[in-house]
Amino acid sequence: MPGESGFRLFFRASSFALRSFCFIHIIHSHVYEFTETRGESMLPTLAATSDYVHALKRYSNGRDCKIGDCIIAAKPTDPHQRVCKRITGMPGDLILVDPSMGSNVSQTDEDYDDHFNSFIKVPKGHVWVTGDNLSQSLDSRTYNSLPMGLIKGKIVAANDLNEPFWGGKYGSLWGFRKINNIYIDER
Amino acid sequence: MWSTSKIHNGLRRTLIVISWIPVAMTVNEHICYVAKIEGSSMRPTLNPNETIPSDWVLLWKWGVQDAMNLRYNDVILFKAPYNPTKVYCKRIKGVQFDSVSTNYPYPREIVQIPRNHVWVEGDNTFHSIDSNTFGPISTGLVLGKVAMVLWPPSRWGSQIDQSGGRGDIRVRDMRF
Repeated sequence: MPGESGFRLFFRASSFALRSFCFIHIIHSHVYEFTETRGESMLPTLAATSDYVHALKRYSNGRDCKIGDCIIAAKPTDPHQRVCKRITGMPGDLILVDPSMGSNVSQTDEDYDDHFNSFIKVPKGHVWVTGDNLSQSLDSRTYNSLPMGLIKGKIVAANDLNEPFWGGKYGSLWGFRKINNIYIDER
Repeated sequence: MWSTSKIHNGLRRTLIVISWIPVAMTVNEHICYVAKIEGSSMRPTLNPNETIPSDWVLLWKWGVQDAMNLRYNDVILFKAPYNPTKVYCKRIKGVQFDSVSTNYPYPREIVQIPRNHVWVEGDNTFHSIDSNTFGPISTGLVLGKVAMVLWPPSRWGSQIDQSGGRGDIRVRDMRF
């Protein structure tokens, strides 16, 4: 504006920047987030690099989350780190922790039986989470059940920005695909 | 004509006020917040008796999910592990890697607290659901640290950093 002093202009610009930043932050933490994921733990659902996910924050604190949902959560042993896992046990479920640890080749019969008999009951307000790539995943098998309070959102879709704008492996915009609940009730 | 400009001005002002709401929310979520304390589990430090209304406290939120900023004897608010919609207020009785001696109903007598977890207990030991029930909690569940009591005025200047409950329960002798 004409006649406006430099100080006033600076003040207006920084006030605008602050309001925009906070608006984006609130949308990101309460409504929707688009963010990169890394790591091998969710292969083949999400690639180890350059995959971006769409997360809905309505599902934070485990609200309306179901078994088989893909979630973002804070890691209990390092809350600044985000992990992306799939819910494989709901409160009250009885979980066989990790039978793959038991090997009848390298272990005695007792150890072998131990891993096939170690069960955990998921407490209320907690969920059991595991990565889709069980052999390369640090999850509930290590840090036990995850409190629902650490769940930040549910992943509903993903993009691979290395794919072409249109077409590519998934035949869609930038490798867009939905992330579905893959739970099959076998009862 | 004057009415159109008045409406225009009013609309402009409303928009300006609305645009500051996200800023206020961000401050409330990450810097400080005023919270009401309910229940008797922190007696006598907070809500000392039933005759005066509940305490309102100033909650400090900056960096509280960082285990380095959480110290022994701090009073914290955190999401209840068994129900994420509930908020508990307790005192930190042990930080990461400390060993603490537990109480009934915790299954083990002495427990070492894992990395980025804290052990919390209420000052009113007998009317408190705390870490003796749900174990050490992740610092990711922490919502804020109680800085001071704001309301009612009769409670101004009350000490909240005085150790209550079972006293110092940390075990320094590691030979257990």
